[in-house]
Amino acid sequence: MRILIVEDEVKTGDYLKQGLSEAGFVTDITRDGIDGLHLLMTEEYDLVILDVMLPGMDGWQVLKSVRQIGKQMPVLFLTARDRVEDRVKGLELGADDYLIKPFDFSELLARVRTLLRRGKTKETELLEIADLKLDILRRRVTRAGKRIDLTSKEFSLLELLLRRQGEVLPRSLIASQVWDMNFDSDTNVIEVAMRRLRMKVDDEFEPKLIHNIRGMGYVLEIPEK
Amino acid sequence: MIIPKSITFRLTLFFSTASTIVLLLIGLLVDTLVEAHFEHMDQNELAGKLKLIRHAVENVSSDADITALPAKLNDALVGHNDLFVAIINKSHQLIFTTADTNFTTAVLKRIEENTTSKHSDLKVWRHDKKIYRGKISYAKSHIPEQPNLLVLLAIDIEHHQEFMVEFHRNLWIAIAACIGLTILLGWTAARRGLAPVRDMARVTRGVSASHLAARIPRGSVPPELIGLATEFNEMLDRLESSFRRLSEFSSNLAHELRTPISNLMTQTQVILSKQRKREDYREILYSALEEYERLARMISDMLLLAKADNGQIMPDIELVDLAKEVSELFAYYEAVADEKEIKLVLEGHASVRGNKLMLRRALSNLLSNGIRHAYRASEVYVTIESNPAASKETILVIQNSGEKISGEHLPLLFDRFYRVDPSRQKSSDGAGLGLAITKSILEAHQGKIKVSSDDKSTRFQVTLVSASHAD
Repeated sequence: MRILIVEDEVKTGDYLKQGLSEAGFVTDITRDGIDGLHLLMTEEYDLVILDVMLPGMDGWQVLKSVRQIGKQMPVLFLTARDRVEDRVKGLELGADDYLIKPFDFSELLARVRTLLRRGKTKETELLEIADLKLDILRRRVTRAGKRIDLTSKEFSLLELLLRRQGEVLPRSLIASQVWDMNFDSDTNVIEVAMRRLRMKVDDEFEPKLIHNIRGMGYVLEIPEK
Repeated sequence: MIIPKSITFRLTLFFSTASTIVLLLIGLLVDTLVEAHFEHMDQNELAGKLKLIRHAVENVSSDADITALPAKLNDALVGHNDLFVAIINKSHQLIFTTADTNFTTAVLKRIEENTTSKHSDLKVWRHDKKIYRGKISYAKSHIPEQPNLLVLLAIDIEHHQEFMVEFHRNLWIAIAACIGLTILLGWTAARRGLAPVRDMARVTRGVSASHLAARIPRGSVPPELIGLATEFNEMLDRLESSFRRLSEFSSNLAHELRTPISNLMTQTQVILSKQRKREDYREILYSALEEYERLARMISDMLLLAKADNGQIMPDIELVDLAKEVSELFAYYEAVADEKEIKLVLEGHASVRGNKLMLRRALSNLLSNGIRHAYRASEVYVTIESNPAASKETILVIQNSGEKISGEHLPLLFDRFYRVDPSRQKSSDGAGLGLAITKSILEAHQGKIKVSSDDKSTRFQVTLVSASHAD
């Protein structure tokens, strides 16, 4: 997957490039809008991360020009200004997502993956990892053949983790996806909910599947030996 | 463009216009009365002389008498130099006249011109630069062929006219002086009357961000201005309190930012002071990350508050089912409440109009607060109902059993960065902005919040405009 980063803030740009490269993406970076547009017109990218305030040509103009030539790759906007008008303008021009600085890198990574996956996921009825199985239609969870009773929110939480296994999911994304809490709330809530889920899913079993990545969020994966 | 005139100018203008009109009317009235008085005097004099003449003419019975008449009349009218008398017979022959023939001819000509008018009317005319007032009448004689003789009577009224000219001049000078005086008096009165307003202006001039303590003393204000003065003083009260809060907010803000930044600096400096193990660096980075997250969260909270203050947090308004929102929040906090064996209880339902995300955020802070401060194994109640006193209001109460919040803290709970217990700064309740955010959101919805606390429980009461009454 090839990602173009258009960001004039040197530090932000470098960390984005490093972080995304380490997450397994091929990344190019450019510092101004005109170069960015040129690259977008000549090369093929799967996703663009676009800063709004750019020298030469602002992010909106770049996006407008890109959409005019018919390129439909997802665009994720980054901005330091959180104004409703800006958000509306970005979305009207065809941006796919919007992140306000400062943001968690894990949040950005999760959103990038969501955008790249968009339209490609096929709805599966049975999700599994190791010996953990989750049957969406029958709302049943088993581990090593043993039935596990979950509350409906715990079920949704596990479903989210299973659908995005291997990805570190930040607390804010979990709160938004499972409880529809789209604002910074008591993160303690997520920790408690996770602890309870881990108690049911992991405590009596090996290997442990749900992991807390300090400062980043939670991930569901089979740990490397 | 109309330049607004000063009140003093307006009052003076109004006052002097009014008195000018009155003075002019009085002048006109006096003038008319004096004229009428002179006319009346002239008429009386003419009537007296006519009586005299008629008496003389009555005694005429022969031609000899007619010849003697002028001498007789001259005797009777001696000393009346300003009087003109002429007696004419039917064939317009002059029997007697006091003036020269020229004048008499002229008078006769005027009579012929005016035969249509009634003879008894007083007439004013001008002859040889003199003004006369006179009348035409008849005198009965005993001469059979001349029973009625025409009598012409006139008085020279030039001295009246001279008087009137003088009188008019004096009158106008007096009126002009009076107008001048009323303007002056009006201006003085207006200025003196407006003195309290100037006093208020002086107080106002003294008000600035650093001098908000000035107030208009109520004793010195006339009753008409008490309302204004009170409003003004109350406005100053509100401004003073807002300013005080704002400056406290700024200093709190500086403090809140200084603590994590100082932590970050110190720990980084310490860790860099010598070579360390990989795990130590990793540990310090995690610790830094936690501080950064706190800072980022505080900044976004403050931005939200700033946006709420500027009315920018309600991009879309929809119907919000409060019971549904509370249920979803219950689902969110279920695990946390369970840990403390707290039961979450919801009663009632109502809908309001507002921004769903913002209302949810406001209620989320209250609920999280309630659960945090509730005793273990107690209940947190959320009650939604229409205000029985005012049907257009919806009341939502969040009540938890917990330690009493003492009275001195209650009014300050919604202040930014306020903490009941300053030592709990680092605990999970964030930067102390939660309740401030809740209050700002509710105020953006034209809502209110108040808190009460006793030995058993703490109640937050939210008042919102009911959906059917919201505009």
